[in-house]
Amino acid sequence: MDILLLLVPLSVVLVFIIVVIFYWALQEGQFEDLESPGRELLDDDDR
Amino acid sequence: MAFETLDPSLALPAGPGAAIASDARYQALDDAELQAQFSRPAEQEGLTESWLLVDGMVCAACAQSIEQRLGGMPGVHRVQVNAAAGRAKLIWDQRQTAVSTLFAAIAQLNYRPYPVQHIEGDLQRRRQQRQALWRLFVAGFCMMQVMMYATPIYFATPGDITPDMEQLLKWASWLLSLPIVLFAAGPFFRSAWQDLLARRIGMDVPVSLGILITFVASSLALMQRSGEVYFDSLSMFVFFLLGGRYLETLARNKVAGNLEQLAKRLPSSVERLLDYPASGESRPALAHQLRSGDVLRILPGQAFPGDGVVLDGHSAVDEALLTGEGQPVDKSPGDPLVAGSYNLHAPLLMRLERLGRDSRFGEIVALMERAASEKPRLAALADRYAAHFLLAVLVLAALAAGVWRLIEPARAIWVAVAVLVVTCPCALSLATPAAILAASGRLAREGVLVAHPAALEAMAEAQRVVFDKTGTLSHEQVLLKSVQVVREGFDAQRALALAAALDAQSLHPIARALQRAVATEAAPLKLESLHEERGQGVEAWFEGERYRLGRASFAWPDFRIEDSIDVSSLLADQNGPIAVLHFGERLREDAVAALQALRVQGLQLAMLSGDRSHSAAAIAAQAGISEVLSEQTPESKLAALAAWQQGGAGRDAQRVIMVGDGINDGPVLSRADVSVVMGSGAPLSQSDADLVLLSNRLGDLPLAIALARRTQAIIKQNLCWAAAYNALCVPLAMLGWLPPWLAGLGMAASSLLVVLNALRLAR
Repeated sequence: MDILLLLVPLSVVLVFIIVVIFYWALQEGQFEDLESPGRELLDDDDR
Repeated sequence: MAFETLDPSLALPAGPGAAIASDARYQALDDAELQAQFSRPAEQEGLTESWLLVDGMVCAACAQSIEQRLGGMPGVHRVQVNAAAGRAKLIWDQRQTAVSTLFAAIAQLNYRPYPVQHIEGDLQRRRQQRQALWRLFVAGFCMMQVMMYATPIYFATPGDITPDMEQLLKWASWLLSLPIVLFAAGPFFRSAWQDLLARRIGMDVPVSLGILITFVASSLALMQRSGEVYFDSLSMFVFFLLGGRYLETLARNKVAGNLEQLAKRLPSSVERLLDYPASGESRPALAHQLRSGDVLRILPGQAFPGDGVVLDGHSAVDEALLTGEGQPVDKSPGDPLVAGSYNLHAPLLMRLERLGRDSRFGEIVALMERAASEKPRLAALADRYAAHFLLAVLVLAALAAGVWRLIEPARAIWVAVAVLVVTCPCALSLATPAAILAASGRLAREGVLVAHPAALEAMAEAQRVVFDKTGTLSHEQVLLKSVQVVREGFDAQRALALAAALDAQSLHPIARALQRAVATEAAPLKLESLHEERGQGVEAWFEGERYRLGRASFAWPDFRIEDSIDVSSLLADQNGPIAVLHFGERLREDAVAALQALRVQGLQLAMLSGDRSHSAAAIAAQAGISEVLSEQTPESKLAALAAWQQGGAGRDAQRVIMVGDGINDGPVLSRADVSVVMGSGAPLSQSDADLVLLSNRLGDLPLAIALARRTQAIIKQNLCWAAAYNALCVPLAMLGWLPPWLAGLGMAASSLLVVLNALRLAR
C-alpha cells in the first residue's frame, strides 16, 4: 500500500496538468464550434 | 440592452455578373471610422483583425470554401470561419489589400458577409462565456477527483486504511478544494461581498457562508486530526451551483436573443443618388452622412436605412422584423417604407424622410431599451421578498446550530451548513423575472412589444377591454368612397387629381386617402402658392384658377353637403363647387374574429368614441360591440373609465385594458390598468403605452392576453414550487437528515426547474 504515497500526490499533479490543458484548449477556441469538425470528416477533398 | 447591429446593406446576392457592382458597394467599408467598428489591430505588427458575420453558410464545407478562397488572396494572413456561429475572423494586411475586396470575394461565393458591429462588446461577451465554462470545468474536474479520494474513506471497513493513509487522502482533497474555493466559487463571494457593502442580503450571502464555513471547519478538522471533513460535499455544491447558473445564462441569452432580433440591421452604407431626377449617377454614402430628403437606391436584399417613400420601382418588402407580419408587402411609388425592413425583389428608389432616433425603427429600439431598463426594478422587487426570506434562513441556521450544539456538538456546524445551502431563494427571486422575460421575448416575435413588463400581470387579471374607434377598431386610414361631381360636365378623374394635388403636402388622414386613391397614374399637377387653413382646408392656384378643398364653409360657403355618416370634402374654384368627395371608415379585417376571441376569454367589451353617435354605432354594430359610448370628450372618457374601474351600482370593480391609437386618447390610456396602442398610431416614443401591437393586428390582443394568463399561471407554479421545496427541505436539514452535498444538489435542481418552467413561455 506504500505505493499510494506516491500515487496520490501524482494524481493531484495530473489533475492540475489536465486543468491546464483544458485552459489552453478553451483559449484556443476549441469549444466554440462543436458542429462543423464532425462534418468535415465527411468531406472528400483534402486540404 | 446593447443591440448588435448588423449590416444587411452589404448582403447582396452576388451572382457572377454582380461582382463589379458589389465591389462598389463594399467600398464604404474602407472608411476608417466604419472599419473600426468591426476591426482592431491584430497582435502581429501592422496587421488588422476583422470580424464578420456570414449569412448563407449551411455546413462545414461552406466554411472551408471561404477559407480557401480568402486564404489564397494576397494580404490575407489568417482566415477562421465558424460555420455554426456564422462568423469569420480575418487577419489581413492594410498595405496589401482592402477589406472591401475581401467582402466582395465572399459575396462572389454566394454568401452574404456583414461586418460585426461593436467588436469590443462582442468579444467581451465571448470572454465572459469562456470564463464561466472555465470555472465550471475547474470545479467539475476537481470535484471528481475529490470524490475519488473520499470514496475509500466512506466504503473501507475499519482498519483497512491506516490513519496515515486517510490523512494523506484528506490532504489531497484539501489541495484540490483550493482551486474550487479560491477560483471557481469567486463569483459567489464577489456578489455576496457587493451585497454586504450595499447592506442587503442577496442570494449569494448564505451560499458564500455555507462554502466558507464548510471549508474552514473541514480544514481545521484536518489539521487537528479530529472530526469530519466535507471537501467532497463542498466541491459538489460549488459544481452544481455553477452548472445551474451556466445553464441559466444560456437560457437567458436565448431569450435576450429573441428580443434583440427585433432591433438589428440598419445598413451602414447605401447608394445615394446625387442629382435625382436629372441623372441616375450615384455614390455610396455612409449612414451618418445621410440627411432626410436624400434619394437612395435600395437593392434587393438591402434594408432601408430610414423611413421614407417609394419614388420609383415596384417590389415586395419584408417588414416582419417590425410587425411580425410574415407576408411580403407590395410597394409601389408613393408607398411608405419603414427603416429596418428589407427590400426583396427589385431595386427601389426611395426618398428619406426620417432617420435615426426619429424613424420608426429608432422609436422601437428606444422603447425596448426603456423596457429593458425597467427589468432591474422588477428584479429588485423580487429581491426584496427574497431578502426577508434569506434573513429567516440565517436565523434558522443559527438556531439549528444552537440546538444541535446541545444534542450532538459534532454535527451542529454541518446541520447549519445544510440549512444555509438547501434553501433556494433563487427559485423565489427568479420565478417572476424569468417568466416575464420569456413571455416578452415570445410576444416580441409575434409583433407585440411589451414596453412595461409589469403590465402583463394586470393584463392577466383584466375583466374588460375598452376600444377607441378610429385607428383601432377601424383602419386609421380613411377610404375615398366616392366622388360626386356637382358641376355639369366636369371630369371626375380631373377633380380627383386636383384634390390630390391640393392635399399632397398634408398628413391628414383624408389627404392620405386621396393620395392612395390617385396612386401613381399621372405626374402631380404643379400648383402655386399652396396654403393650408388649419382645420378648414387647403387653397392653391393652378393655371390661373384658385382652387379650394375642405369643409364646405371654407371652400364654397353657400353649398350644403347632405348629412351622412361619411366625412365629406368639397372641391371648389372661384366659380363655384366642383365635386364632393366622400370618405368613410372601414372596420379592420380581423376585428370581428379578435373581438369574438376576447369574448370567449371572458372579457367584457366596450367602445368609446368621440365621433357622432350614428357613425360610432355603425362601426360598433359591424364589430359586434353592444356597449357603445359615443360623442365623448376626453373628460367623459376618463369618467367612464373610472366608473368601470370603481364599480358600484351593482357592478364589480374591474381591471380595464384600454386599446387606442395613441394619438388623441393619451389621458384615457394612461389611466387604464393596461394600455395597448396600435403600432401605426402616434410616435411610439411619445406614447407611454404598456403594449404596442406593431403588426396592427387586433388578433394579437387575445393572443397577448392568453400569454399573459399563462405567464401568471407559471409564476404561481414557480412560487408554489419554491415555497413547497423550502418548506420541506429546511426542516429536513434542521433535523440533520440532509447531508450538505444533497442539499447543494437540491438547490441547484430547484432553481433550474424554475427557469425551465418559465422557458415554456418562450416557445
